[in-house]
Amino acid sequence: MPETNPDFRYPLRWRIMDMAEAIADFLWPRRLSKYTGWLFIMPALMLVGILVLGLIQIADASLRTLDTATYLPSDNWSLDNFQKALGSSVYFKVAWRSLLGAALTTAITLCFAFPYAYAMVRTQSPKVRKALLIALFLPFFIGQVVRAYGWLILLGNGGMVNDVLGLVGIGPVRLLFNYPAVIFGLVQYMLPFAVLMLAPALTAIPTETEIAAGSLGANWLQTLWHVILPMAKPGLVGAGLVVGTLSLTDFAVPAMLGGGSQDFVANAIYDQFFRTADQGLGAALALLLVAVGSLIVGLVFMVFGAGTLSMGARK
Amino acid sequence: MNMPAAQPADGERHAAVLVRDVDMDFGNGPLAVQSASFSLEAGRFLTILGPSGSGKTTLLRMIAGFQKPSRGQILIGGKASDAVAPHKRTIGMVFQKLALFPHMTVNENVAFPLKMRRFNPKDIPERVARYLDLVRLGGYGTRRIHELSGGQQQRVAIARALVFEPDLLLLDEPLAALDRKLREEMQLEFRRIQKELGVTTINVTHDQREALVVSDEIIVMDQGRIQQHADPVAMYRKPASPFVANFIGVSSFLKGEVTETGLSVNGFSCAGTLPRNMSLGSVAQGAIRAEQIRISATAADLASCDTTLQGTVTDTIFEGERLLYFVAVPGLATALQIYHHDPLGHAPHDRGAAVTIGWNARDLLIFPPQNM
Amino acid sequence: MANSHIRLSRRAMLCGSATAGAALLITGASTRRLMAQNAPEKPREIIVRAWGGSWVEALKAGVSDPFTEATGIAVRHDLTEDNEIQPKLWAAVAQGRIPPIHVNWDTTTNATKSALRGVTEDLSDVSNLANTTDLAKPVGLEGYPIINTYGYVYVLAYRPEAFPDGPPTSWTALLDPKFKGRIALYNDGIGFHFPAQVAGGGSLEDIPDNMQAAWDFIAKVKEQDPLLGEDPDFTNWFQNGEIDIACTISTNAREARKNGLEIAWVVPEEGCKFDTDGLWIPKGLPENELYWAKEYVNFALTQQAQQVWLDGLGLPGVVPGLTPPEDLVDDPSYPTKPEDFAHLIRISAQVQVQNESEWFSKFKEIMQG
Repeated sequence: MPETNPDFRYPLRWRIMDMAEAIADFLWPRRLSKYTGWLFIMPALMLVGILVLGLIQIADASLRTLDTATYLPSDNWSLDNFQKALGSSVYFKVAWRSLLGAALTTAITLCFAFPYAYAMVRTQSPKVRKALLIALFLPFFIGQVVRAYGWLILLGNGGMVNDVLGLVGIGPVRLLFNYPAVIFGLVQYMLPFAVLMLAPALTAIPTETEIAAGSLGANWLQTLWHVILPMAKPGLVGAGLVVGTLSLTDFAVPAMLGGGSQDFVANAIYDQFFRTADQGLGAALALLLVAVGSLIVGLVFMVFGAGTLSMGARK
Repeated sequence: MNMPAAQPADGERHAAVLVRDVDMDFGNGPLAVQSASFSLEAGRFLTILGPSGSGKTTLLRMIAGFQKPSRGQILIGGKASDAVAPHKRTIGMVFQKLALFPHMTVNENVAFPLKMRRFNPKDIPERVARYLDLVRLGGYGTRRIHELSGGQQQRVAIARALVFEPDLLLLDEPLAALDRKLREEMQLEFRRIQKELGVTTINVTHDQREALVVSDEIIVMDQGRIQQHADPVAMYRKPASPFVANFIGVSSFLKGEVTETGLSVNGFSCAGTLPRNMSLGSVAQGAIRAEQIRISATAADLASCDTTLQGTVTDTIFEGERLLYFVAVPGLATALQIYHHDPLGHAPHDRGAAVTIGWNARDLLIFPPQNM
Repeated sequence: MANSHIRLSRRAMLCGSATAGAALLITGASTRRLMAQNAPEKPREIIVRAWGGSWVEALKAGVSDPFTEATGIAVRHDLTEDNEIQPKLWAAVAQGRIPPIHVNWDTTTNATKSALRGVTEDLSDVSNLANTTDLAKPVGLEGYPIINTYGYVYVLAYRPEAFPDGPPTSWTALLDPKFKGRIALYNDGIGFHFPAQVAGGGSLEDIPDNMQAAWDFIAKVKEQDPLLGEDPDFTNWFQNGEIDIACTISTNAREARKNGLEIAWVVPEEGCKFDTDGLWIPKGLPENELYWAKEYVNFALTQQAQQVWLDGLGLPGVVPGLTPPEDLVDDPSYPTKPEDFAHLIRISAQVQVQNESEWFSKFKEIMQG
């Protein structure tokens, strides 16, 4: 018989857990435990359900044309909105601008994010790593709109950059309200996302593998090309997908840094919903954006696999 | 065959690897490697053996050129190891975690060093096939790395490290993660391949059995220092210090005063082999191998032994091909470990049985105090 | 309950009478109405959608604050953009919900769309309508689904520094190569379509059937890389030195000038678009809230309210006898006499409503190309 020690008490955390377990038992009796999994994904299912309902409503709206005499959507369905969207050169132009913008942003962001993530993962100095991490997370606390506004101030005709250029006798140069300014703003916005997606993938590459490549005769460029990049592919694909889809559907950066003439698809959709009150055409554009975006993501999945988004499954 | 620890100048000239007075200071405590010196002739298989933290991996990394010694000199084939960029050295290395390229096939892994070193592309497939045959992986060339077993992955790593015919092969504990059966199989494979190619090889391990099985020469390291450099037989039979005696094989240790014939341990006279220049009455330590002590129920059986002692069996451990007895002798601080081989697998002495143990003077090695 | 409301109203009255000079900015007629014992129960607050910045400040000073003082009903301003509140109101009415605001301060064109859709209350019984000019009446609509409260002009605003040889006289100044990248228009081109039609050699009679002249002129302006934005953008851009010349509502230019910027504006020889803003009430409000929302609109039509509100905006109102702010006497953006209107282009809300989205998308097509 072990002696019971009157002074012995469980640590506070254990007692709290015991209490929580008792409450959970009361609220969700143990015999229901085989449904617990369902209980936990319920909120997610509901969210997805609402999303699907919304999509159905948008699909319905997209099939109704606007009567400008009464400003009511038509009662009968037609494909006029899609015809209008697909037949218009301006939407083609805007779509092309968005796609190209997403591609450029993705490529440039990955180019910048890769060395950053690599340095963060491989640095020997905890101080350097901490500094890189802080620099990475700081922008997250500053919203997209505030950041874009910051660029308006910095890059404006009377901004700091033009002041500096003025010192060397250049300018003022119009740095804002053009396509490069939009891409620049998007890259700056996306960089932290890409670094965060890349870092785990790079951490997963053992340092030993890189040393091995060196010992086998590869210089650093060959090591990068033949070993690190292919092994970082899941991270690159994951980061690329996130950056690409976020850029493709971005609203604020083209609106604020584009000076009104660099619309992306989201801006065109906004115009239809809120400027010309043509919800049908806006809905059709939204659906087309969803379709094109899904198609591209699907293609990337097929060609490259889902990257880190595949959650460990092979292809 | 004995390898003297200090090499004559003549031997250095032919050395494939020469390490001279090397220190490594990471600046966070004692030196990781301290005044390491040895040389290795071409075609020999050397194992650096030591517990973790002994500095053996650091020494290997300096030889590989991944780290620069704080002091001293390392010459590979007569050239300073850090004079050449890592990717231009002709050193093949098999890594602890193998470091195979998971995104490439077996063929691509093995062809990688050939491609990087600009071998004639026409010769590459033939050479890759030859080295896969050498490691008995013929026909596995198109497999992916993750489709191979642990042992097969080992073989790919070996083929990849050897395919460009390096002057020196370095093995950084590549077998540590394998299960025992596979490890023993791969030890024999290493030895076979090394003999077939005649490539100078340095292996690092903490597994004393592996060191004995595969090596032509062994260096035992402890706390950053080279303890002994000898061939396996000499290393086993004539350990230079109690540490080596303890690290390789199973030994019992006795501490006492030096007498004319050996040690006097708590009044027991223990016959042993004394090194030169031991002063009588000084305290010294002796070690004796478990298989060199005889054990019997009757004292008469051990009449031929130089020393006999009476004791009690405190534990019996069955190890398959042999038994290990722990025998406590009243007055001695620790129990003695004794191997007993019995072809029939009988255990003649039960726990608690009174036994006589004995040994011959040449088998109790007494170490000078500075090596204690 | 009724008692407490009466008490509240009495206290408000006492407050009002105690305030010397400013006492009772309301006409006798509306005082009687506001005091009426049989008035429906007062809501705690009414919500008025408004544009931010100097716009809402003016409304607060001229209408909302005095209204609260007179009735005890708090006024909350909802600064949701007019274009964004519109679908919300439409959805609320379609689904039979109580709309999120009581009064919408809206452009006449947008308000007309809502009127056509049938989501507006009829305001014909608002008593102060009797004392308004023709401008208050929405053109081409039955009754008063909306009441116009003032007019405004989309002027050609410029930085005098950029025009050393004197102010521009024509919209063709936009095509001067030295203004490349330094021009601003509304991002749907609102306010610019009609003068562009004239500047491009077309005629106003051809609107909406043939606006090729306007599109040709806008295409030429596109070559000048104009910036496209909303009201606040213009003030910002002028302030930060990003632009020299813009087509904008005079109020924005005046706001920039109040902030100490050197800004001037003209009505060029081709003319400027004149338009109106108004107030309307969405359908679906509870009876008593509708009553007090109407009282708010009624209050906005009093001479005193108009004077203060429109002094703030610098725009001409819809009741007679208003005096222009000092800085706008004889200003072309503050038309008072018939000859002032001669240079202003007015197109009926009906035509605008039916064609606006087409004009917007045509403008977009050119600008996004």
